[in-house]
Amino acid sequence: MQEKELTEKESLFIIQQMISRAKNDFVDTGIGPILWGTVITFCSLVQAAQIHYQFNLPFDIWFLALLAILPQIYISIREKRERKAKGWDDDVMSYVWICFGVGVFLINFINNVQARELNHVLREYTKLTGNPVSSIWSYATCYLLFVFGFPTIITGASRKFKIMTFGGIFCWASAIAAAFLPTKIDFLLMALSATLAWLIPGIILERKYRAQKNANV
Amino acid sequence: MFKELDPILHSQLRLAVMSLLIGVKEAEFTFIKEKTGSTAGNLSVQISKLKEAGYVDVLKQFKDNYPLTICKITPAGIKAFEAYVKALQSYLPK
Repeated sequence: MQEKELTEKESLFIIQQMISRAKNDFVDTGIGPILWGTVITFCSLVQAAQIHYQFNLPFDIWFLALLAILPQIYISIREKRERKAKGWDDDVMSYVWICFGVGVFLINFINNVQARELNHVLREYTKLTGNPVSSIWSYATCYLLFVFGFPTIITGASRKFKIMTFGGIFCWASAIAAAFLPTKIDFLLMALSATLAWLIPGIILERKYRAQKNANV
Repeated sequence: MFKELDPILHSQLRLAVMSLLIGVKEAEFTFIKEKTGSTAGNLSVQISKLKEAGYVDVLKQFKDNYPLTICKITPAGIKAFEAYVKALQSYLPK
C-alpha cells in the first residue's frame, strides 16, 4: 500500500475493504463444534440403545464427554496461538461456553443428589399404587437440552450463523418435548439436537475455514 | 458544509490500519501487514504516527521467544475514526 492523496471515495473504499478483511479473518475452524457434536450425538444414541435393548455397558458412556474435554483444551490452545487478531466478542464467547460447561456439570450434580433423595420414594409410590412414575433422571434431559440451546443461540445469533441459531432453538423445542416423552425418546432428541446445533454447523465452519485457508495460500 | 478531514487519518495506510483495528479488539503487527499488503518499514512508520496522535496503543511482547507487536485502537482513536467517517459523509452526494 503506497502513500498518496486520497479522494473521499477512495477513503470509503479503504474503510469498507479493511473492515471486511478483518471480519473475514474470524472464521472458526469448526473443530470444537464437530468434536462436541460427535461425542454428544454418539453418547445419546448409545444411551437410547441401552434403554431400548435393555443392556448395560461396563462403564458409563458419558465418561466419553468428560474425556472430550482434553482434546478441547488442546484445540483451544492451538486456535489461540494461530489467531493473529482478537475480536471484540472473543472473551465474551469464551465466558459463555465456560458457563455452559459449568452449567452441564451443575445439572448432573444436582440431579444426582435429587435422584438419591427421591427416586426410592417414587419407586415405593409405583409399588403401592401400580402407577408407573418416571425417575428424576428422566427430567435431566430437559434441563440439559435447555442448557445446550443457550450458548448455541447466543453464538449463532451474534455471529449471524443462522444454522447454529436454528440448532439452538431446536434444543429448546426438544427440551419442552422431552418433558412429555419417554426417556429413550429424550436421548434420541438429544442426539438430533447435538447434530443440528454443533455437528452440522461445525462441518460447515470447517469447510469455510479450509476454503479460506486455501484461498490465502 | 464540508467538514475538515483529520490529516492523521486521511492517509491511505493509516486509514487502512485504523479501519482494521476498529473491527478487532487487538491485532498482531503481522496481521496488519498481511491485511494491508504494506511493507514492514512503512507500516512501522505509520503506526508510530498513529501512536504519537494517541489513536493506537502498541504493546511489545514475546511469543515463543520471538518479539511480538500488538496494536489496539484507543478510545481517542475510536472517536477520531467516527469523526472522520462523519466528515467524509458530508463530502458525499446526498
